[in-house]
Amino acid sequence: MSWADPRTRLALLAGKVTAWASRGLRMGGGTTLPGDVARAIDPRVLRKLAASPRRGTVLVTGTNGKTTTAALLRRMATAAGWRTGGNQSGSNLIYGLTAAAIAHADLRGRMDVDWLVLEVDELSALAAARELRPEILVVLNAFRDQLDRSFEVDQVAARLGEAVAALPETAVAVLNSDDPRIAALDGAARTSLFGIEDREADRGGLPESADRPVCPRCGTSLHFDAVYYGQCGDYRCPACGWSRPSPAMRVIRVIGAGLEHVELTLAGPGGGVGPVEVPLAGAHNAANVAAAAAAALEMGADWDQIEHGLQQFRPAFGRSQVVRWRQRQVRLLLAKNPAGMQASLEAVLGGDAGPVLGLALNDGIADGTDISWIWDVEFEKLATVGPRWIVLSGRRAAELALRLRYAGLAASRLLVRPAPEEALDELAERAAPGTAAPALLTYTAMLAWHRTVVGAGGAKPFWTEG
Amino acid sequence: MAASSSLRLGVLYPREMNLYGDRGNVLALVRRAALRGVELEVMTLGLDGGPPQEIEACSGFLIGGGQDLDQLALAHDLVARKGPALREAVSGGAPLLAVCAGYQLLGKHYRTATGDLIPGLGILPLRTEAGPRRLVGNILVAANPGLGLSNPLLVGFENHSGRTMLEPGLQPLGEVVRGEGNDGDSGAEGAILGSVIGTYLHGPLLPKNPALADWWLFAAADRTGTTLDRSHLDDSAEEAARREAIQITLRGSRARGYRLLGRRARIRRTG
Repeated sequence: MSWADPRTRLALLAGKVTAWASRGLRMGGGTTLPGDVARAIDPRVLRKLAASPRRGTVLVTGTNGKTTTAALLRRMATAAGWRTGGNQSGSNLIYGLTAAAIAHADLRGRMDVDWLVLEVDELSALAAARELRPEILVVLNAFRDQLDRSFEVDQVAARLGEAVAALPETAVAVLNSDDPRIAALDGAARTSLFGIEDREADRGGLPESADRPVCPRCGTSLHFDAVYYGQCGDYRCPACGWSRPSPAMRVIRVIGAGLEHVELTLAGPGGGVGPVEVPLAGAHNAANVAAAAAAALEMGADWDQIEHGLQQFRPAFGRSQVVRWRQRQVRLLLAKNPAGMQASLEAVLGGDAGPVLGLALNDGIADGTDISWIWDVEFEKLATVGPRWIVLSGRRAAELALRLRYAGLAASRLLVRPAPEEALDELAERAAPGTAAPALLTYTAMLAWHRTVVGAGGAKPFWTEG
Repeated sequence: MAASSSLRLGVLYPREMNLYGDRGNVLALVRRAALRGVELEVMTLGLDGGPPQEIEACSGFLIGGGQDLDQLALAHDLVARKGPALREAVSGGAPLLAVCAGYQLLGKHYRTATGDLIPGLGILPLRTEAGPRRLVGNILVAANPGLGLSNPLLVGFENHSGRTMLEPGLQPLGEVVRGEGNDGDSGAEGAILGSVIGTYLHGPLLPKNPALADWWLFAAADRTGTTLDRSHLDDSAEEAARREAIQITLRGSRARGYRLLGRRARIRRTG
C-alpha cells in the first residue's frame, strides 16, 4: 500500500540515518531531529506508521505525570507479555513522537512492537490523536504550567478536549474523574474514568496554587468535599448539581509515607490490587498508577499482570531518583510547576524529611521564564516544621530565598548556593548518614544537577532500590 | 479618621484574580507593615461579598490578574456592585494597586480577541484591546519621578495580549527600560492617577519592588491618619532578588532566543 510510496521510504531512511549520525556525533538531537528530517521529506510519515504496531498505540497526556504514567503502563504491558515501544527520552512533541515511531520501525515501516506507549505534550495531543489514531488516550490533568507560553489552564483543557473529540470511533479516552476540567471532556465515543476515593488522604481544601475550577455546565465556582492534590478531588456544583462522575478505576486507599514509596490499593472492574508499595511519592502518583491500570485493562491486561507490572516498576529519570554525592545520598524530585512543587513539598513534609532540603529554581525556556508561580506554593509550612536547613540553588536562588523569608523562615536557615556543586556539597554535608536529602528541582535545574553528579569523579547515578 | 496602629487591605477577588502568584503582593504588604510597626488586616472582597460598608472600612486595595473567562464574570460585579464605594475611597486617597487583568478592568473597556466588549470601572481613562501576539517576558521600568519612590527601577514579568492605550493627560507608571509595557510600542508602562496605579508587572510585584510596597503603605497611612515607622528597612534579601532579576533581564538576547528556540526547548520538557 502506501509503502510503495518512495517518498515515505526515503523519509524513513533519512530519519534513521539522522538518528544514527546524531548519536554518533553526540549532537544530542537524536530524540527529535530524525522526526524533523523525516517529516520534511514526507509530512505524512507518522500517519503511515500509525497502523504498524501489532495491537495499537496508547497516548498519555496532561500537565504532570506523563513520563511516570507511560513508564508504569509499559511495565504493565511487558508483564502481560507484550513488546512495547515508546519515547522514554521524553521528547513529546509531534517531532519527538515521529522520531520514536521511526526508531521502532524498519525501512518498510514494519514494527516488532505490540503497543506503542507514547507520552505527548498537552498542546500536541490533538495532532498526535489525528496522525496516530490511538486505541487509547490517557488524559491525566491540567495544571498551570509555563504560562509564559501564553496558554492559560482553561485553554489547555480546551485543547485536550479537542484531542479527545478527534479520537477514532473505536478508541477509548481514559480520563481523571478528580480533575473537573478533565472529567468534563465528553467528546469521546467511549470513556473510562479513574480517580481517588480515600477521604483520609484529603489535604483539607484547595492549595493556593490550584486554579479554582468553575462548573463546566453553569460557570459557578465548584465546591470541594475533598482535595487530594492540585484542584483534583471530590467536587460538586452548588448551583446546578453537576458533580464528579464516579470512576470505574478507584484508588480506595493511599498512604503516603514520605518520599520512598506510596502505598495504595486499587479497585476496579473485575478485581483489584493491593495494598502495594510503589517507589513514587504522593497522592498524585497514586492517581498516575490508577490511570495506568485503567489503560492496561483497556489494552486487555488482567489484574495479575497489572500487579506484576507495578512490582517491576522503577522511577524514571529525576522522578524520585537517588544519586550519590561525596558518600552521601540526594533524592532528586522534579518539581516543574506549582502543582508539582506543592505535591512534592507535601510528600517531603509527610515523612521524616531529615535535616536538610534542597530547592532549585531555573528560569530557562524549558522551565518557563516566568517564576511568579513560586509565590503560590505554600512554603509557609516550612516555617514551623520540616528540615532545619534549606539549600537554595539555581539561576533564581535569590528569588527562592526571598520567597522563603516572606514565608516566615529565618535567614539563618537559608543557604543560598546557586551552582549545583555548591548546593550538592551543602546537602551532602548536612544530610543524615544513611538517608537521602531531598531536592526539588525545576526541569533544567534537574538536568544540571544530574550532569554534575554524573560528571564528578566516581559519583554515579543509580536507581532507587536499583 | 482617628490614629490607629492597624491598616486594612481590601483584596478584590482573590479567588478569581490570582493567576501568577499575586498572593506575593499581599505577603509583601503584610510583612512590611509589620516591620513598620503596623498590623495589616487582610480583607477579602470577593464576588459574593464586599458590600459598600466593607469597602469604606478598607485603607487601600489590591486587584490581581486572571483569565479572560474570569474577567467577564467579575466585570459586572466590579462595575455595578463595588464601583461606587471603590470610586469614593480612591478619590479620598486610598491606594489601589491593580495588576494585569485588574489594571485592564480599571479602564473604560477591554475588547477581547473575539470582539466581546468587557466594560471596565472607568477609574483610569484608558482602553484595552486584545492584540495579535502576547507580550511576554521580564521587564524593567523606570518609574515616574512624580511617585517619589526610594528606588525608581521597577523589576517584574509581564504576560498580556491586551494593548492598553492611555488617553491624553493620563500619566504612565513609568518608562520601559527593557520589555514591552502597555502596548509593546509606545515605551509607556502602566498608569498612575492620584492614588491609583495600574501595571502589567504581574504577580509578585511588591516583594521585589519594596519601594512600591512602601508607596502603598504610606498612602494608606496618610489617608487613615495612621502612624507608621517610615525609616529605611533592611532590604538585603529583596536587593539580592532584584539584582538577580535585573541581570537576567539585561541579557537581552533571551527575548529573541525565546522565539527562535521555543519549539525546540519544549521538546526537552517532559511530563
